[in-house]
Formats: sequence, C-alpha cells, structure tokens
Amino acid sequence: MQKGRHRSLGRTTAVVTQHQIVTHRAAIGFQKRSRLSVFKFKGHPLSTAPPSPAHQNPFRPPAAAAAFTPTPSRRTQNPPTLTVCSNMEIQDFSDDIDVKVKKYQRGEGADLEALKDKKLKGQLANREELFKKSANAAAKAEKWLMQTESGLLEPEGIEKTWRFSQQSIVQEVDVASRKNQFDIVLPDLGPYTIDYISSGRYMLTAGRKGHLAIMDLHTLKPVKDFQVRETVRDAVFLHNELFFAAAQKKYTYIYNRAGTELHCLKEHGAVRKLQFLKNHFLLSSINKSGHLHYQDITTGQIVGNYRTALGRSDVLQLNPYNSVVTSGHSGGTVSMWKPTTSTPLVKMLCHRGPVTAIAFHPNGHLMATAGMDKKIKIWDLRTYKTLQTLPGHAKTLSFSQKGLLAASTGSFTQILQTSDSENSQNYNRYMIHTMAKGYQINKILFRPYEDVLGIGHSSGFSSIIVPGSGEPNFDSWVANPFETVKERREKEVRVLLDKLPPESVMLDPTKVGTLRDVKRREKRTKAAAVAAAKNVAVKKKTKGRSKPSKVARKKQEGVEKVKRAFVEDEEGVKKKQKRIVEVSELPVALQPFVTKKGK
Amino acid sequence: MAETKRKKTLEPANSSKRRKGGKEKNWKKGPHLPNALQKELNSLNPTYGSDEEIKSDDDIDVYEYEEKIPEEESKKNRRYDPVDNFEYELPKDFEDEDVASDDDEEEKGDSDDEKHARMLQDITGLPGDAFEGKKKKNDVVVFEAYPESEYNPSRDVLDGDGRITVDDLLNPLHGKPGFSKIRKDVQRIDKKSMSIQPPLPKPQQQKVDRRSAYVYSKKKLQEYESLVKKNREAPTIYFDEDRDIGYSTVGAIASEFKPRTEFEKKMASLINTKQLSEAHNGDGARLLELNKVSVQDVKERQDRLAKMRNLLFRHELKAKRIKHIKSKTYRRLMKKDKLKGASATEIEMNPEAAKQLAEKEEFKRAEERLTLKHKNTSKWAKRLKKRGFDAQDDGTRAAISQQLQQHALLTRKRNSMHDDESSSDDSTEDDDDMSADEDDDASKLKLLENGKNRTLEVLEEDDDMPKSGVLSLPFMVRGQKKKKEAAEEEARLALQDYESEMKQLDGDDDSNHNVSLSGRKVFGAQKKQAPQSKKKAKVNTDNYFDNSDSEDDDADTMEDVNGRMSYTQKDVNIDSNILREESEIGHDPLFKSFDDISKAQGPKIEYEVSLPATNSLKKKGNKKDSNQLKGKTESNKSQVAELASDKEEHDSDTDGEGEGGMVDGMITSGGDYELPSQDDLIRRAFAGDDVEEDFEMTKQEILNEENPEPEKPVLLPGWGQWTHIQKKRGLPSWMLAEHETAKKKRDQDLKKRPDAHLNHVIISQRVDKRAEKLQTKVLPYPFKDKEHFERSNRMPLGPEFNPATTIGSLNRPQVVKKPGVSIKPIKLRKH
Repeated sequence: MQKGRHRSLGRTTAVVTQHQIVTHRAAIGFQKRSRLSVFKFKGHPLSTAPPSPAHQNPFRPPAAAAAFTPTPSRRTQNPPTLTVCSNMEIQDFSDDIDVKVKKYQRGEGADLEALKDKKLKGQLANREELFKKSANAAAKAEKWLMQTESGLLEPEGIEKTWRFSQQSIVQEVDVASRKNQFDIVLPDLGPYTIDYISSGRYMLTAGRKGHLAIMDLHTLKPVKDFQVRETVRDAVFLHNELFFAAAQKKYTYIYNRAGTELHCLKEHGAVRKLQFLKNHFLLSSINKSGHLHYQDITTGQIVGNYRTALGRSDVLQLNPYNSVVTSGHSGGTVSMWKPTTSTPLVKMLCHRGPVTAIAFHPNGHLMATAGMDKKIKIWDLRTYKTLQTLPGHAKTLSFSQKGLLAASTGSFTQILQTSDSENSQNYNRYMIHTMAKGYQINKILFRPYEDVLGIGHSSGFSSIIVPGSGEPNFDSWVANPFETVKERREKEVRVLLDKLPPESVMLDPTKVGTLRDVKRREKRTKAAAVAAAKNVAVKKKTKGRSKPSKVARKKQEGVEKVKRAFVEDEEGVKKKQKRIVEVSELPVALQPFVTKKGK
Repeated sequence: MAETKRKKTLEPANSSKRRKGGKEKNWKKGPHLPNALQKELNSLNPTYGSDEEIKSDDDIDVYEYEEKIPEEESKKNRRYDPVDNFEYELPKDFEDEDVASDDDEEEKGDSDDEKHARMLQDITGLPGDAFEGKKKKNDVVVFEAYPESEYNPSRDVLDGDGRITVDDLLNPLHGKPGFSKIRKDVQRIDKKSMSIQPPLPKPQQQKVDRRSAYVYSKKKLQEYESLVKKNREAPTIYFDEDRDIGYSTVGAIASEFKPRTEFEKKMASLINTKQLSEAHNGDGARLLELNKVSVQDVKERQDRLAKMRNLLFRHELKAKRIKHIKSKTYRRLMKKDKLKGASATEIEMNPEAAKQLAEKEEFKRAEERLTLKHKNTSKWAKRLKKRGFDAQDDGTRAAISQQLQQHALLTRKRNSMHDDESSSDDSTEDDDDMSADEDDDASKLKLLENGKNRTLEVLEEDDDMPKSGVLSLPFMVRGQKKKKEAAEEEARLALQDYESEMKQLDGDDDSNHNVSLSGRKVFGAQKKQAPQSKKKAKVNTDNYFDNSDSEDDDADTMEDVNGRMSYTQKDVNIDSNILREESEIGHDPLFKSFDDISKAQGPKIEYEVSLPATNSLKKKGNKKDSNQLKGKTESNKSQVAELASDKEEHDSDTDGEGEGGMVDGMITSGGDYELPSQDDLIRRAFAGDDVEEDFEMTKQEILNEENPEPEKPVLLPGWGQWTHIQKKRGLPSWMLAEHETAKKKRDQDLKKRPDAHLNHVIISQRVDKRAEKLQTKVLPYPFKDKEHFERSNRMPLGPEFNPATTIGSLNRPQVVKKPGVSIKPIKLRKH
C-alpha cells in the first residue's frame, strides 16, 4: 500500500533506497517526472539575486551545492511522489542537457563575424569558448547532482487533482513528510500572519493581539514564544532566524531570537506591512499614512522615505527577482518602488476596486494581483499586460518556488498550477483546501524547499501538503535548511560582504554594468550655452541686412538672451538658499511653524 | 704673314694645274737642296717635265721662299689617293654666292651634318656656324714651328688620336727583370677589359646598405612570425616556464663565492695556500704547527698594548683631576672655549651644526620673549630695584645693565621686524606692556578705550569722496556710501560693545547699575520692565528672550514673585553679553538687513518680535530703531505699545497654528485602525467609482511633468495692442511655428515612451542618478559596439556561478608571471 522514495542529497547523490509498492488505489498515481524549468531571462552577477534559492536563479550551477553540503543529510524531499513502474518515462537526456546548457550560457554571444578588430575578435572568441565549456560543465553537474525531482499529483481517468483531500494525501506520504501537515489552534490572540526563513526551516508567526513565536519546523518545537501585549500587524525575519522585525501598534521593533527587543524603529510610524530585502539589508515598510520607508538594518540609516500619495495601503510585496517593492492601493493601482527614487518606477491600474493582495513569481516576470472587484489577475511584468484573469476574491496570494499560485479568501484556499505544456502560463485549479467554517485566513505562504503551504488564520496556523510546490534541490550557498551554527555565522559574514547598495534595485537588474543610455541631455552650463550662441551661423540676407555690424549685433543679442536664462536660474537658487538660511536661524522652538507656513 | 696666307690659298690652284699635267711623280723628294745643287742633281738624273720649272726658275732669279706643299696635296707615302678631276670646271671668274656651302659639298662624310646645319640655318636665319660649335675646332691650323715635345704636342695628340698606350710605356722596360710579369698582368687586364666604376657618394651608399640590411633583417624576422602570432592569439601568456630563481641553499651561495675586493683577495690567498689546504686535508696536527708565532712578534704586541694602557691611565687621571676642579671661572672659561672652538670649527664645516646653532639661538630668543628672564623680573633684580639702584655698587649696576642689554639683544630681532609696521604695532606693544603689568582690569580698560577711540576715529573720519574718475560715478558713489554706512554701523556696534564692556568693568562693585546698562540692547524686555520695577532686574539672555514673549512675561512675573537677588543677575548679564556677541558673530551682522526680514512676512512674524533683542541697531528707517538709537532717555510708551501689539499678533498667530496642529493631530493621530469602520467602508465604496479616469488624469500629470507641454505663445502685454491691426494679425508666424515644432517634439517623445500604448501603466522615465553610477558612461576601449560589450559581460565569473573546472581559465589573467623573475626576450626554438 505504501510507497515512499527516499533520496539523499549530498556528495554521493545516489539513490539510497527506493521502495516501490504498487498501489491498489489506481485513482491516485503519483508519478515521478522530471520537470524542466526554462528560464528565459539572462542574469548578471550584480543582479539582485532572488531571495528564493539558486534553482530559481539560473546563475548558480549545482556543483557548489554538492561541494559544500556538509553532511549527506537524508531527508524526504517530495512527500507524495509515488512511482508507478509501468509509467516510468524514458527521458531524453541529450535534449535535457541542451536545454540546461542554454540556460547556463545565459543567452547567445554576440555575432563576431561583423567585428573588424581582429584582436578583440580573437579574445571574444576565446571567451565564448570558455563560456560554453563552463555551461556544459554546469549542465552536466546539474544533471548528475540535482536528481531529486519535485512531486506531483497525477489523476487517472476522470479523477481531478483538486478532489484529493489532505487526508488522502497524508496517507500516501512518508512519515517524515507527514509531520509537515499540522494544525496549531490558538484561538485567543487573533488572526495570525506567518513568515518563513529563506531556507524554510524556521517559521515566524505573529498574532494580531501581540503573540510572537518562532518555530523550528524540523523539530516542530517553538524556539521562542512570547507576547508583546500590543497589536502586531506584521512580522518578518531579517537575514537569518536570529532577528526579526515586528510592526506593532505604534512602532516597529526588532527582536532577537530570544525575544529581546533590540531596536525600536520610530521613524517608520505605525507600520501596516513589512518586507525585508535580504540582498540589500533593507527593511521596507508602509505605514498607515501611506509612507514607504526603507531602512538599512546594518547601519540603521533611513535610506528612503517616500509618500505614496495613494492613500493607506495594506499590501506590500517584494519582487524577489529585482527587489522592487510593490504596494497596492485603494484606487486599484499598484505601484513599484525602489529605495532611491521618490516616484514609483511603475504605476499600474490593476483593478477597479482596492487591491487586496499581490504576489510575485520567483522568476520575477509574473505578478498576481487580487482586488475587491472579485478578480485575480496574472500579469506579465515584461509587457505589463494581463495574461489571465480569474474570478474570485483573494485576501492573500502566494507563489511557490515552483510557480504554483495559492489564493485564499475566508476559510477557503485554492492552489493553481500552469497546465502541462511548458510555455503555457495558463493557471488552472490544482488543489483546494477548506478550513473549518469561521476560520478567517489571514496569510498564506509556501514554505521554501518543502511541499508545504502555511496558512495563518484567525485561530492559529496550519500547514498543508501541496505536492510539487517546493524546490526539491537546495543549494547550500544560497539557503541551507540543515545549516549548522558555524555555517550560519560564516554565511552572515559572507552575506554582509556581498551586501548590495540600495541604488542597485532596479526594474531590470541586468542593466547593471551595461552602457548608459545617452538619451538624457546633460544640463548645459552657462559657458557652453554662450559658446553655442556665439557659434550660430548667420544666414545671408538681403543687401544691407547682413552688414557686419548688424550680424555682430544680432549675435550679441543671442548671447544676451542665453545669459538671461541663466541669470534667472541663479537668482532662483539664491532666493531658495536665503530662505533656508533664515529658517535655520530661527530658534528651535519656532522652526516647525515656519516650515508649515512655508509649505 | 698675310702674304704667306695668300700664297697658301693660291697654291692649291697651281698644284691642281700641275696635277693636271700628270707631273706629280716628278715631284721632288728628299731633302730640300739649294738650287745649284739641285741643278747638278737634275743633270745627273734628268727628269721630264721639269722644263717649266726651270723656266720659271730662270725667270725669277731672286731667291724666293718656297712654301712646302701641304701634306695632303703632296701625296706623300701615297696616303692620299689620286683623284681624277672629271667634274665640270667653272670659269675662273665665276663667283659663287655661298662659298662655304660649296666647299662643304665636296666632302660627303659631313653631308648629313651639313644638311642639318643648313636646315637649321634656313629655319632660324642664323649663320650655320652658330650651331656647329665643336666642329669648327677641327679646322685649327697647327704650326709645326717647333719640335714636338710635351710643350708642343703634335696634332695627333691634340686631336686625341695619339694616345700613349700601356705598350708604349712598357716597351722601354723590355728585358728588365719583372717585365714579363708586368706584361702578363697587363695582358690579363686587357683580356678582362673591365672598367672600374668610381665609388658611390656616401649617402647613396648608405641608402643602399640600409636597403639591403632591411631585406636581410626582414627575412630574419619572418622566422619569428609564427611565434609572435601564437603569443598574440593566446589568451594567456606564461612567463615563468624556464625560471631560475638561483641558489636554493646557503651552502650553494657560499660555494659560489669569489673574492672581489682587495681584502677578500688577500684573505683568499691566505686561506687557499697550499700548506693550509694540505694541513686541512691531513690530520689537524699540522694546523697547530702553522699556528706558531715568533717570540719577537709576541713581544712587540705586548709592548704596544702596554703603551696603550699607560696612555689610557694617564688620560683617566687627567680627567679625574679636571673633574675635581670647583672653580666656576674655570668652568665658564672652559665652556666658552669649548663653545667657541665648536662654533668656530664646526659651524664653518658643518651646515647641520650651523643650523642647530641657529635653532638654539632662536629658541633662546623665544624663551627670552616668553619668560622675560633678563628684564629685571628675577627676585634678585626686584630686590635691587626695591632698594634703589643708587644704593648699589658699580658691579651690581653693571650686572643689571648687562642683563638688560642681554634682553635687548635677545629681543632685538622682533622689534626690528615689527618696526616698519603701521601704528597697530604700537598697540600690540602696549599690549605687551600691559600684560607685563599685574593689573589685568586696568589693562583691559585701556584696551577697550583704545578700541573705542579707534572706532570713534573711524566714525568721525570723513571720507573725502573723489570728485572725478570712476569712483565719482553716481552708482559707485552710492555703493561707497552704502559700504561706508555698513562699516559705520558695525563700528557703532563695536562702540556699543566697548562701552558696555567698559561699564561692566567699571562697575564691578555696583551690579544694579550694570543691569540697567546692559539692558539697553535687549530693549524690548527692558523697556517693559523699567516701569514695572527698577529693582527687578531680570535674566535677559537672548536665547531665552527669543523663544517667545509670552514666556518671557511669565518669567518676569515669576521673578517678581520670587524676588531674585541681584548678585546672581550680574553673572547672568555677563553671560548674556557673551551670548550676544557670539550670536552676532554667528550671523554676520552686515548681511542681515532688516529689510529682508520684514519682507518675508508670513512665517517670519515670530522672528520679527525677537529681532529687537539681537539686532536692534540695524533697523534703519524704522521708527523703533531710531528710538532705540537715541537711547533710554526718551519715553518708550509708543514702543511698548507697538511691541504689545506685535506680541498680540504673534500670539494670535501661534494660536492659530496651534489650532491647526491640533486639528492635524486629530486627523492624523486617530485611534488605531482595526476593523473597517464606516468611514473606511464609504471610502472603499467610492474609491472604485471612476478609477480609470483618475488614473488617466494622473498619467497625464506625470507625462506633463516628465515631458512638459510647450508654453502657449503670448505677446508681451501691451505690446502692439494699441492698434487693431496687430490684433487682427494675431501672433507672429515664427512664434506659432516654434510652438508647433515644440508640440511635435513632445508628441514624438510621448510616443517613444514604453507606456505609450499601455493605458493602464505609467512607467517612470526619470533617471536615477545614483543608479546611473552602476552603468558605464562610455564603451570600454577595445569595444566599438554596445552589443559586443554587453554580451561579453553576460556571464558571471565568480566561483559561485561557475564549476570549479572552468573557474580558473575564466579568470586567468592575460599574463602569468612569477614575481621577481625577469621577462626574457623571445627565443626562437629550432625544431
């Protein structure tokens, strides 16, 4: 009856055991299958690596993962993947390799035929050769080292995947995965919000009425559990499980794992939502007056403080691909922000009613939004066009590492999946889950590297099994669920060294290191303008009109005209400065009044 | 001569006649004989046809020189062929016009040239001779009056025919030893018959050399081509392949040692003597033998050592004796000697020492200036002074005078330096004197007085305005005036300060008076206080006053109640003075004119109120100000009233603000928002009303902001509007055209935007300057194409992104080289 597959990941990367028991219930066939992930975008070393693991990030070959995985830790990766022997597919590995090589080559090289410079041509050709070699090696390594495949629910005949209940799934999975399905009932301290650490090992839960808890999901024991006796609106982990930030009634606080309050971030105001940009070490928040704050948590400096001018917002989501923070507003607009500009990078009108939830695909090209207009829309962020519009409300949305989309409203959760064909972005229903009536779901979040969906609701939180949602192979360079203390320490240092400056957040991170667009005209200096005016060629006119004296006078006029514009500018600057000086001269007690009036 | 010539010309005709007669054979041969002999000879050998001659001879009895017949006509040796004259003879009297040509025709060989010459003559009209040149020379007549010699060459030589050949030279040598050899050589040379060219000029020769060298070296270099090409194409060049770091051990270095210096060589010769090496090779016994030293040597050494020891001992003794001398005179003299000797010798020799000495001197001077050690400040000097100089003996007086002299000596340099400066120097000297005095206060007073006087002088000083030149121009005058006014203002301020300071200093004992004085500047409060109570002198720190009037009032009242003591007030007042000074220094008094402040009306009201305290003196043209300037004698009722009104205004303002703030606070700091309230519900209900239109509008706004719309063309108001023609015509066409182009440009820009076709999206086109730093401004050097550059950068190179097998080659530098190893030139390897 029971079939389970255990795989070990590590240096050996060999299949240790493989019990295969033919199931009598033909209704559920869990099939082993290799799924390809084709990434069409190209990467850049400086690009903001997505917070999800390397396997969403095509830049990283698995070689390192194998080399640095310290112990061949055995774990069950894909709980419900059961195999039916007869259905075993023979895979075309050569095809597979080609695709992978392409992925690791990150696009085509430039056409060298057109190049005239022989030396450069030779150099570039050499480079290309090396790139190809590297890509080949990486693809091979991936093939041999990353053998764990993601799970899948496969129906047979007229069966539908969404008919499988959690009870039926849990019967099929191995014991280790079975413990991923649990409910914790905490009815008193209000709707819970959850956050996972990037390796998926620790969970942070925050009850609205002041309950904060960190849980180790491997041992299923709370690391720390305490109450702040104040409204807690949101809580996020910082770069590791040792620190987390909680948005409380008046201020945001940073606690450590032991529950000690380390910092009180007063500048953020009464924060509604928090997000942490882990490559930049920025904590971003949106408060109830619609101000967006960015604070560097390593230096404590406020990097950006911007007024969204779109009213109160409860929705703030980070795009893991480019670290652009996106907020949803009551006017149905969604605006994307970077820490260094006061205006949004992109402003989109997504819904006719207020936006209730936003989620991003780990590859950064898909955005899902939900609105009060009873629609869930999936957007392609490369074209800013809708790919799909689904009916229904959603209080929260979440994309999994493998691209499953979960949406929930009330006590109902549904999980959507793209149809089988590779290029299709059409999301269809994959699973549904209904909680007890009266449970109001507050937040759902896929757990990284596990086929688990965490649900925070009004009376506690629960986790359900969603086969095929998590990334089966982890890269210990990026996130290691089995991290030791020493590794964690080392990683902290490494990550701090690799910290990116806030300005590197941009819509297209591949733009870093490329040639700047020269479209923008530099502001002309006075001297340049005058010189240009002097050099204006004078048209030959009728007799007498282009006398040298006249021409000279005309030129002089032109120069004067140009100068005049600059004089006005200078005067403006002077006036501004003067005003500022005057304000600063005032005694401290009077200053606030002046600024208010001045505005 | 002329006769002979004529004969010569005639002769041929005669001779030709004779030839016609066919008597050429009978022509005399042999030596020229006298007639008598000839006759006799003829009789002996009778010749025919000689009758005529005889006849003629007979006819002419006199001796006549007979010219020799020219050789060509004499037909000697048959060198000239006999030619029969078959031609038609012209009559004798016939005269040809062109004689020259006639003559020429006879000779056929020249005919071509002649023709050519004639042709030239015909064409040019010049005589033919002009063209001939050389040919004429051949006609030179040579007289053989002298025997042939090197001074009188024969005709052949002149013509160039009779060259002297080698054979001619050789012939006399015939039969001499070595002749055959020479002859053989000559023959050989003849056979080869190669003429040797003269050497080329030097530059040409060099050029040729270079060319050939180039060809050669080119060929040589081509051998390297393949090697160079290989290196050029290689992504990495290694330079450490055949490296030779050198010796690896100390032993190796030692073994390679070669003596170089004299000493080393000597040592080496000693060490490497045969005996020694043999001794080493054998057992050590022989080495001991070699160690033996002669008795004499040892003795010599002992003697030397003993001598040295003795000397040392004596020196020691001497030093001890000298050390025990207690005489100060001796010491002084010794020191002097030492110094002198040192300075005399060393300074001349050693610049370093000189410098040190100079420094020492300078230090001494500085010390003197600081301590005034030699200015009768010592206890001894003071005592002497007290007792009176007259009472002292000559020695003491001399000592004192010497001391003073020394002081003068040490401080002289400074004085000399400062002497040429202006009067300000005096004051500094005064200062110095003052500082020397014990009485600080007095000095300060004096100082202040000085300052005051100086400023007064400045104030009173009437600047004589130039009556002509640039400075007399009206605007310059105005500027000067303004400047002067400002300066005066400042001066007055300074004066005020001085006064207050002085008064403070004066009135150290009576503080009450002081309070009233210092209060002058902070008149606003002071005036109010004055009527209230004379005794209630209050704390008037500017800062405090600035804060707000109402507070001040409160403080006043409080103080009233408390009845503070006056001794505290004094201190506070001094404080206020200092503070004021600081504040004045802080905001440059010249730049802050009152006008500016009064212009900025709205938010500056509070400031205005506080102003009287700090900058009261600057308010010119203001009644208040003038009042103040006049001082406290005037009644201040009106001022008080004004102030009060000001205060009221201010109060009301602040109230209003406060209210505003309150209202804001109410709005912003509402209770914590938990559940959707009624308000929220309503907002939500209406938010989606016309979302799209709102969005359109915002988009338009942003577009206008980023690509601003061109301004509508307008005429200057009033310009051309006083007739109806202009109105009818409308705007000038160029304005319209300009507007049109600007509009078009904007439209194009808008179309280029990425969100041009997306109604629901606004993509900001603003450039983030900080993010721009992460991009390159120009293409790096070897790249000419953006695409090539960007594509070549697409792969990350870090170890996290590449397999370990390729990471090395991906990141290898262009040149791999071990440090410390020199790069040798390319070596051609023969295969």
